[in-house]
Amino acid sequence: MVAESAQQFEALEAQAAALMDSFGAAGYERIAPAMIQPANVYLDRVGEAIRGRTYLFTDLSGEELCLRPDLTVPVCRLYLERHPEGGESARYCYNGPAFRYQPDAFSLTEPREFRQAGIESIGELRREEADAQVFALAIEGLRAAGLEGFQVKIGDLGLFEALILSIEMPERWRQRLWRNYWRPHTFHDLLQRLAAGKGSWISEPAGVLLAEIEADDVGSTEEWVEKYLDAQGIPLIGNRTVTEIAERLVHRAADVKEAPLADKSVDLIEDYLDISGAPEAAVEQVAKLANRSGVDLSGAIARFEKRLRHLADCDVDIESMQFGGGFGRNLEYYTGFVFQIEMPDAGRTGRVAGGGRYDGLLTELGATKRIPAVGCAIHTERLLMAVDGAAR
Amino acid sequence: MRGENVILAVPSKGRLMEPTRALFAEGGLEIRKNGSSRGYRGTLDGIDGVEVAFLSASEIAEQLRLGHVHFGVTGEDLIRESIAEPETELEFIQPLGFGHADVVVAVPDCWIDVNRMSDLQDAAAIFHHVHERRLRVATKYVNMTRRFFDGKGVSAYRIVESLGATEGAPTAGSAEIIVDITSTGATLTANHLRVLEDGIMLRSQATLFASRRISSPSAVKDARAAIISSLNSAKAG
Repeated sequence: MVAESAQQFEALEAQAAALMDSFGAAGYERIAPAMIQPANVYLDRVGEAIRGRTYLFTDLSGEELCLRPDLTVPVCRLYLERHPEGGESARYCYNGPAFRYQPDAFSLTEPREFRQAGIESIGELRREEADAQVFALAIEGLRAAGLEGFQVKIGDLGLFEALILSIEMPERWRQRLWRNYWRPHTFHDLLQRLAAGKGSWISEPAGVLLAEIEADDVGSTEEWVEKYLDAQGIPLIGNRTVTEIAERLVHRAADVKEAPLADKSVDLIEDYLDISGAPEAAVEQVAKLANRSGVDLSGAIARFEKRLRHLADCDVDIESMQFGGGFGRNLEYYTGFVFQIEMPDAGRTGRVAGGGRYDGLLTELGATKRIPAVGCAIHTERLLMAVDGAAR
Repeated sequence: MRGENVILAVPSKGRLMEPTRALFAEGGLEIRKNGSSRGYRGTLDGIDGVEVAFLSASEIAEQLRLGHVHFGVTGEDLIRESIAEPETELEFIQPLGFGHADVVVAVPDCWIDVNRMSDLQDAAAIFHHVHERRLRVATKYVNMTRRFFDGKGVSAYRIVESLGATEGAPTAGSAEIIVDITSTGATLTANHLRVLEDGIMLRSQATLFASRRISSPSAVKDARAAIISSLNSAKAG
């Protein structure tokens, strides 16, 4: 068992200094958010998946806490403490310990106590400009730390959202597709079922139920549900309201009668997810696809191109990036531009930094209105390995 | 590992205790307690050098996981909850044919629109939006629940750890749904809960396990062979 929290402490400190110098010179404020965070912030907002990796504990007062598994959430909480109403833009940089369960606790590239550096831009309404600036600054920092020969992957969840909105289908189907976007396998299954139609995914334990439901009328369905539960002697427990139950029954009844999702719509979605290439060529492909399919993505495409121009203005080498229509499906809180900076042929260990836009997170953390936010997190142990590896 | 004895852990209480004792006895291996009837150690008639440790079913799962006992009888549910990849750490020697129980996802009966996990995914996401909090799952199977729900694409939930009377949680208002172990289903029905069609997470029974963590001197191999053949003759007879 290793008794050090950072086995290459001096090298990591020197590297952090290079990163923080770059970020500080660009006007990002250095902050140090708390290492001990409330557990429910992560579990409630980010989800139970993080429970499997997080060091949770209860203190003497009975409060459920954790050692932070990342710094993005603590930074956002710090912003909200300073600016409860939002409204002000702030740019922060940080470098500090984070903790995640790892099968090999003391691995040099995936230790359970690791040091995450990063930058966050919160509250800036000029989104495409902020996306480009954060990305360019991350690259600058990584270069200052000695990283070379890396590759960049990008995606845009805003484009995908616009695509789904542009296709003719019931709103409830859009919600289901969006919710399952993060699991490619389930997403593909869902698409197939929507295309098969007749609500073919619906199981009918009490076949008589759906036939008795009026497809459009939540009000009378609520009455029906209440009568049904009464007649069967079933008490209302579990906090879902009769309205919630009735609405889903109405949706299911509607699904049975709904025309299946058009094959060309399924093709459109799958073709979009398959698009890959350098960004300018890729967005041309997206525009052509939209044209062929008769959908209007001009707004989202314009924003994508605006971001590319800002990136070019920041001297970023756009041509060497790889855009993927299906890229960015790993963190449920991303909402727009996403990116990953990695060493070629190095698998997971080569993923040195990653980030993107997450406009919904601050609301999840208690903000009363939606606050734009974009950031990048750097895995400093992997960065050190990559720089060292190249040096040899 | 203390001493040179082979250690077999058996349930000291609960519904697995008596059937375990009976099965071993039927196979000619009477389990004898040392000292008073409240003792925690014993021996196996019919095999030398085997020490019996009397522990609760969950302690047995823990001791197997830590590699402190060679063999143990406990429920598969407890093993799968405490060990992420049990087949690598333990050997599942033999299911013993008793202690059958299913670990299930159960929702209120009144949720007549929720029959499958895909319905739960929908309903949970909408619940999160409407109630501005996540739907709560009461359970002691924290790890199994997390893995199962993740596999079924349900993410809008929170686990509320429940160490007893889990089935009463939705009526009491401390959770919306449960993941619990059930044998006849009678308790679920009495608490106005229903198992989802694809909500059976595990069909569990009492199983004889061996730890892979401990080295296996010939004494262990001999003991193992003797135990297995006795159990087989018991089940056959």
